[in-house]
Amino acid sequence: MNRALMRISLACLAMFVLLLINVNYVQAFEAGRLSAQSGNIRTFDQQFQYQRGSIIAAGGGKSVTIAESRLVKGTNDYKRDYPFGAIFAPVTGYDSVYSDTGIEAAEDKNLSGTAPALAVHNLIGVLTGKPKQGATVYLTISAAAQEAAYSALASFGKPAAAVAINPSTGAILAMASYPTFNPNEFTTLNGAKLDQIDNRYLADPSQPLLNRAINATYPPGSTFKIVTSSTALSTGKVASPQTPVPAPASFQLTGSSSVLINNDGEICGDGTPPLIQAFYLSCNTAFAKLGQKVGPADLHKYASAYGMNNPNLTIPLSVSPSNYPLLTDPAQVELSAIGQFNDTVTPLQEAMFAATIANHGTLMKPYLVTEVTAPDLTAIQRTQPSPLSQPVSSPVAAGIGSMMLQVTQNPAGTGYATAGPPAVGSLQIAAKTGTAQNGINNTNLNDAVFTCYAPYSNPQIAVAVIVQGGGYGAAAAAPIAVRIIQAYLGKT
Amino acid sequence: MSAAVTQSGTTAEPATLRRGRRGSELLMLAFAVAVVLLAFAATGYGLNGKLPPVLLTYGLGFAALMFAAHLAVRWLAPWADPLMLPLAALLNGLGIVMIYRLQQSGRAGNPGNVISTMSTSDALLQLVWTAVGIIAFVLVLAFVRQTRVLQRYTYTLGAIGLVLLALPAVIGTTINGAKVWIVVGSFSIQPEEFAKLALAVFFAAYLVAKRDVLALAGRRFLGIDLPRARDLGPVLIAWGASLLILIFETDIGTSALFFGLFVVMLYIATQRTSWLLIGLLLFLGGTYIASTFISHVSERFTIWLHPFAGHNATGAAYQLVQGLEGMGFGGIFGTGLGHGQPYWTPLVQSDFIVTAFGEELGLTGLMALLLIFGLLVQRGLRAALAVRDPFAKLLAGGLAFVLALQVFVIVGGVTGLIPLTGITTPFLSQGGSSLVASWALIALLMRISDMARRPAPQPIQDEGMTQVVRAV
Repeated sequence: MNRALMRISLACLAMFVLLLINVNYVQAFEAGRLSAQSGNIRTFDQQFQYQRGSIIAAGGGKSVTIAESRLVKGTNDYKRDYPFGAIFAPVTGYDSVYSDTGIEAAEDKNLSGTAPALAVHNLIGVLTGKPKQGATVYLTISAAAQEAAYSALASFGKPAAAVAINPSTGAILAMASYPTFNPNEFTTLNGAKLDQIDNRYLADPSQPLLNRAINATYPPGSTFKIVTSSTALSTGKVASPQTPVPAPASFQLTGSSSVLINNDGEICGDGTPPLIQAFYLSCNTAFAKLGQKVGPADLHKYASAYGMNNPNLTIPLSVSPSNYPLLTDPAQVELSAIGQFNDTVTPLQEAMFAATIANHGTLMKPYLVTEVTAPDLTAIQRTQPSPLSQPVSSPVAAGIGSMMLQVTQNPAGTGYATAGPPAVGSLQIAAKTGTAQNGINNTNLNDAVFTCYAPYSNPQIAVAVIVQGGGYGAAAAAPIAVRIIQAYLGKT
Repeated sequence: MSAAVTQSGTTAEPATLRRGRRGSELLMLAFAVAVVLLAFAATGYGLNGKLPPVLLTYGLGFAALMFAAHLAVRWLAPWADPLMLPLAALLNGLGIVMIYRLQQSGRAGNPGNVISTMSTSDALLQLVWTAVGIIAFVLVLAFVRQTRVLQRYTYTLGAIGLVLLALPAVIGTTINGAKVWIVVGSFSIQPEEFAKLALAVFFAAYLVAKRDVLALAGRRFLGIDLPRARDLGPVLIAWGASLLILIFETDIGTSALFFGLFVVMLYIATQRTSWLLIGLLLFLGGTYIASTFISHVSERFTIWLHPFAGHNATGAAYQLVQGLEGMGFGGIFGTGLGHGQPYWTPLVQSDFIVTAFGEELGLTGLMALLLIFGLLVQRGLRAALAVRDPFAKLLAGGLAFVLALQVFVIVGGVTGLIPLTGITTPFLSQGGSSLVASWALIALLMRISDMARRPAPQPIQDEGMTQVVRAV
């Protein structure tokens, strides 16, 4: 019988091997997926049991904690706290018992301590009996710039957003949206109360939960003339900023009955002004004709190089694509060349236009997270600035920069009064204003758009502001941008 | 005179082969008890940051019981395998620790979820059952001095086994979809646990008597020697009985256990692979037929294949999903005793206790537990291989296999390897019947290993041998 017994022994061995393989599969390979399973009661319960990592605004030479977990008195439960309420809400998002948004969602694995890079740290914690703790996330946000952005948007009081970027690295210095939400309201541990708060925000017609800086798009209006000029100068269709361009008082769109005029029907210079003058006066007819001249394919190519038409940009929050469709109808091409028709941009995209020019034509990938550190302060992740594309050459960027400077420095420039010497004295801001018509038959209030960088000779910050229904870009958006620049450069 | 001869003959044997190794057993038993006490202390720290108040009383009680078992082995089975008792003690002790941990539910400051099916005296009750189990262990060793004692009661034990199996179907209570319990006062007994032992003895005795007939080949078909049709009778009876369990007690696990036990013992007795194939086909066929008209059975298949699909995770598969998520939560190193949340899994203290170990001791701890079970099975099979008596050989093989199969069915079930069927985890699960039966099973295996390792009586009639001895 021993031969049969040996075979049965092998069968027993096989059964145990199968069990061992299966428990390895469940506990080592499936563990992550099981934890992420919706309705996992342990994962849900666990979130109050450990200290979630802090979020720190570390840009601009100062570190400010903008989200942290604190022990609730008399319990072992941790509760999230946002010391600055709504100011940083578009950046941090919120961390509620049911869901996360913003950086809380994008960096959840690090903040909650479940990222693979933290496994060794966690293991050491288990062995030394230390409670599990999340990693700290350091952001590029400058608290000064962000606070200035939020208070400027709030005091204007219309739906608006502002984004500031360090042009040479792509580090996002400010990302403000108005109206917004108070993330502290979402930290309640009471599920029914949370539902109530969530429903109230979702039903609010002013959409406070929408991050307008990266997830809302607006027509760029005249700020798109930066792209049109880039295309014209890069392709050689216009030799230099001093080259005269035709700019009639009115221009009938090709193949259409619509007539395009300049602002208030003014003539533009002497009718054939140099490109730089058409730019700082923001003549629509000149740029519509220029659009026709360079053609839709090149416009589309340069718009894409500036970051438009990209649905995959993450900072690490995912950014809604800014669109410049490839057009064929000549009238539509002409309108699109002045930032109308179906052109749409996020405020972040607006800031990327100015940042590219400020950084000698190279667009750096915008990013929010500069470093992630484990509880023992060792860095587990550090962002190296990286170029996203080079839309224009350095000489072309210099030419467009000189044109943008004239917008604020030439007394006739559209930005002279609000971003030029009368407003900011000796600080030189290179800018482009936009006043975008929108709505069906342009019946809505114009959106005010402003994109700029400063100081002109040594760019440290690029800022874009879009105020929905704000009217003239120079009047509504420029003062907000100026406040952000002054706060960041410390010249208030 | 003959006694002196035997003794001097014994000393002439190689010492390593002829020692009972009771000292090693005691050392390993002390180690097992120490591991259990450490686990108990760790549980207290995990739950409340201090030693459990009952550590001393429960710990001393458990240690005393295990020491008593060791003394009984010294007295009644001095040649028995020295590993089996420490392995069983370790499993039993860890089971008590886990039951204590579960009855306390959550940690201080995070009460978690109180397990409604448990009371705070469950660990004490399990310790009392351990005492009963050790008494059963000693009684089996005391009364079964030679396995041939059991062969005298072949048909009596067979009848008892069948009655015990059938009893719940008649007067049983359905708990959690399976009608395998008999409730007496505040105790519930699972007679099938004892039926398993009685029938294993019956099968072994019956097959040893009939194995020559059963081994006769009938026709050869597709390279397999098929048995004669008339010899299929006993297999069909066992199959029918297991199907009846399936139908009247709606318990696939037990039915698989009995049928598997019978078929494997048949195979060991006859060495004919055809029996295994026939058995497997009969079981799969029977289960398929049953699954078509018993909703409980077909539902088990559905939740096995799709635990997370649709409403399964919150409905029929809730228990399985909680167990799996608990194991995933524990990951490789576990949360530590007292730090996990096993209390979300319904009935975690009985069928799902290994998922609680997986959660709090992690993959490493669970693998260690499985290896302990594997080692126990291996020691049983080793005894079967070594013993000469065919009945003892068959019985040990069957018992070791049924232990392995039981662990496979329940651990495989709760970890999603095979469809879930509710049977107990030997030694670990809460419940007296299973614990007492498991100790009796270990007693039988130790008795057989004692027979296998016992030095053969010296052939005093051997002229040459006696001459040599006299010369000394």
